[in-house]
Amino acid sequence: MKFKQLTQLTKLAQLTKVAPFNKVTLTIILSLTCLTHAVQAKTIAITNATVYTVASQGILSQATVIIENDIITAINPEQVNADETIDANGRILTPGLIGSMNALGLVEVAAVAKTLDGGDKKADITFDASLAFNPKSTLIAYSRKGGITSNIIAPSGGEDLFAGQTFAANLSGDFSSIIAKQNAVLVYLGAKSKGSRAQRLQALDHSFADLQKKLDKKASKEAKQAADKDDQPAKELKRDEKVIKALLSGEKPLLAYADRATDLLALLALKQKYSLDLVLVSASDAVLIADEIAAADVPVIMSAIDNLPSSFDSLHGDLSNMSVLVNAGVKVILAPKGDSHNLNQLRFDAGIAVANGLAKTEALAALTANVADVFKFNSGRIAVGKNADLVLWSADPFELSTKVDVMWISGKQVSTQSRQDALRNRYMTQSDMPKAYSK
Amino acid sequence: MQTIPVKLGLIVAAMSLSLTACLPFEKQDAKVSINKNPFPSTYKTLPQQNTLFTNATVLTGTGQRLDNADVLMVDGKITQVDVGIVAEDVLTINAQGKWLTPGIIDVHSHLGVYPSPSVESHADGNEMTAPNTAEVWAEHSVWPQDPGFQAARAGGITSLQILPGSANLFGGRGVTLRNVPSETMQGMKFTDAPYGLKMACGENPKRIYGSRKQQPSTRMGNVAGYRAAWAAATEYKRAWDKYNSDYAAGKNSQPPTRDLELDTLMGVLDSEILVHNHCYKAEEMAVMIDLGKEFNYNSGTFHHGIEAYKIADKLAKNANCVAMWPDWWGFKMEAYDMVEENVAIVDAVKNSCAIVHSDSDITIQRLNQEAAKVMYRANENGFALKPEDAIKWITFNAAKSLGINDKTGSLAAGKNADVVLWNGNPFSVYAQAEQVFIDGAKVYDRHDERYQAKSDFLLGQE
Repeated sequence: MKFKQLTQLTKLAQLTKVAPFNKVTLTIILSLTCLTHAVQAKTIAITNATVYTVASQGILSQATVIIENDIITAINPEQVNADETIDANGRILTPGLIGSMNALGLVEVAAVAKTLDGGDKKADITFDASLAFNPKSTLIAYSRKGGITSNIIAPSGGEDLFAGQTFAANLSGDFSSIIAKQNAVLVYLGAKSKGSRAQRLQALDHSFADLQKKLDKKASKEAKQAADKDDQPAKELKRDEKVIKALLSGEKPLLAYADRATDLLALLALKQKYSLDLVLVSASDAVLIADEIAAADVPVIMSAIDNLPSSFDSLHGDLSNMSVLVNAGVKVILAPKGDSHNLNQLRFDAGIAVANGLAKTEALAALTANVADVFKFNSGRIAVGKNADLVLWSADPFELSTKVDVMWISGKQVSTQSRQDALRNRYMTQSDMPKAYSK
Repeated sequence: MQTIPVKLGLIVAAMSLSLTACLPFEKQDAKVSINKNPFPSTYKTLPQQNTLFTNATVLTGTGQRLDNADVLMVDGKITQVDVGIVAEDVLTINAQGKWLTPGIIDVHSHLGVYPSPSVESHADGNEMTAPNTAEVWAEHSVWPQDPGFQAARAGGITSLQILPGSANLFGGRGVTLRNVPSETMQGMKFTDAPYGLKMACGENPKRIYGSRKQQPSTRMGNVAGYRAAWAAATEYKRAWDKYNSDYAAGKNSQPPTRDLELDTLMGVLDSEILVHNHCYKAEEMAVMIDLGKEFNYNSGTFHHGIEAYKIADKLAKNANCVAMWPDWWGFKMEAYDMVEENVAIVDAVKNSCAIVHSDSDITIQRLNQEAAKVMYRANENGFALKPEDAIKWITFNAAKSLGINDKTGSLAAGKNADVVLWNGNPFSVYAQAEQVFIDGAKVYDRHDERYQAKSDFLLGQE
């Protein structure tokens, strides 16, 4: 931090009628600034941490976590032999938070069409928006301020029944950010401005039934061919059919956006009929059928703060809904409400859910382990063998006053500085010259 | 633009004046005057009880924090804020461990005009048919059954300004409401609060009208539109002033032709209506300040003000309030330069008026947390703001922006007893309003269903 900025900070402190900076505060700020530069070490030991493992070990006090390269290799080892040791001094260490169902990396400015890559008129079940992912988007660095280390990005689709496929990316900002491509299929159901909701439900059913029939026919043909010793290869499935086949085998999850209870029940029936790996998204009415959803072992991805009756499909919104679902035994994922720019608010949404009845550990799982489980990637828990996506918090991760002190993505320490900090620093720097000269 | 009727009116007025000048003893017609309050408030205080809160942490809304303090409400007014108040025949609420703040005020809401459910039939917030619709009044679109009012009340909102949207250069009049359940808008209307005039800079008007191949399609088109309107309003005001003074002098002059659009703009020129200007960018706010000077009105409160931090000194010097989000950004180019310290930087200048607003049916439920985010983020970067500073952004400064700070916005003797009792520090993510009072009447209680109102719309829904 430049000297002039500090002078300005002191001036601002005076203007707000409080004691100006003392040297101790300055030192802390300077050291934190230094911390934000990436440090690559072979073995890192985080000692004396309160570790929320979100795994079988629960919460560990004064614990040590060892990172080797990109993996967590030990928790509370007998001997600590590390290239770098970070004393957490009792602070809370959690798995990195995982966002979901947003367009991070596919949007820069929502109203600037040329910065939007989440949808396309021609998008169908094979649509893979990960090809458009921009790890240098300014939204990514800003999202890191919220302790988010990875994210599930959802396409917005086009005219087809299927909106395309989701993908997972980390928030390192590196060109190698993508963790998994095409990891789930997305479909938007429910109320329509034109036409009937029934049409889409029916079309979804038909697309499964048709392929099932084709697969059955193909299997019997192949059996016959084997018996006849005919070595002519069977016709290969088309691209879209291969994806539907992956859904039918439960190999790929089907994420279905819907709110009204009738739609959710219709989806549960489809899951039963075709053995789908179904995940409900938004699911405003889920509280009305919580037991059925729990019995069907279907996870729900939802916002924690969507409590208004914004449509006739969502008349039962309440801040306590997430807590009600979790208590009924439903696995819940907490997703942001609204667009991708304020993804870093997720931890506060979790806090609001806690204020309305959800257990803190469940709220944390809804942002970590549950997401990793549903989208099948090796993160979301602090356990040996897991990817070293970790956040060391100044205090309670959900509290407004708390900030990220240190965070690691795949074992590499990453900065929480963003373009917003550069702008603030410029305008808090005193200069006789126009601000454009303060860089 | 409705300049033609004005010009005709002026010609008629001028002709009649030349005639009356020759006939000084002509009998005067009845005086024509404009009824400035044709839809008067019918708000009445809900049943209230004189109440004493004891041992609370009190944030006054004007920069003070009092620990273990008492607040006394009598007949709907705050009568005392002190330590160790003794009062007889009052309900005593032990607020040990709890916090008391003034009722929260949101200067920017579309509740009632863009209500839930957000169906086509409910989209009543933006008269997107002409760039100047200063003649429309948001109060005529308010649906009092919007369930969002109840949700906002549970978050401590006691007063709020309902504004038209930002599609137009002049979107129409805003109205300030008390957040009480009522069957009518008039039943919620804040008695004697001035009207607001919604104006909008930047991308919205130029996009909406530009796409229809009409003015404005550029920012310079926007400014030309404001100037033409203010020029017409200036003429209109001159005509009415002349009519009034001539009439007072005994002349039987003809009144100008009524023009509802210009009535509203004249209200601003007469300092009776306050400007509320949707304006994100530094250079645009600077132009709007000069525009106010050109036509002799105060440019009022800038809403959204994403770039206010770039010109904080100028805003304070010109006595503008600025209402801001803590961290929304990136939905448009004009919202790209957000900094999380925006509110704090604006607030740090002497004579400033920084406000945290919602513009959202969701965040209006937690304006305390919106303010908290600003305070904590700013403190991480060199500020030393305290709860007693941050509360001002959602109480006193908001009341000042709406012209109601003589009535509400702080806990002080003589003020309306608009009070929120919080379960703890309101700047925590776990904070909840336990009880909310408007004019000393309890309108919400988290632990008593009798004080949890429900909209007609949600009644009987299964």
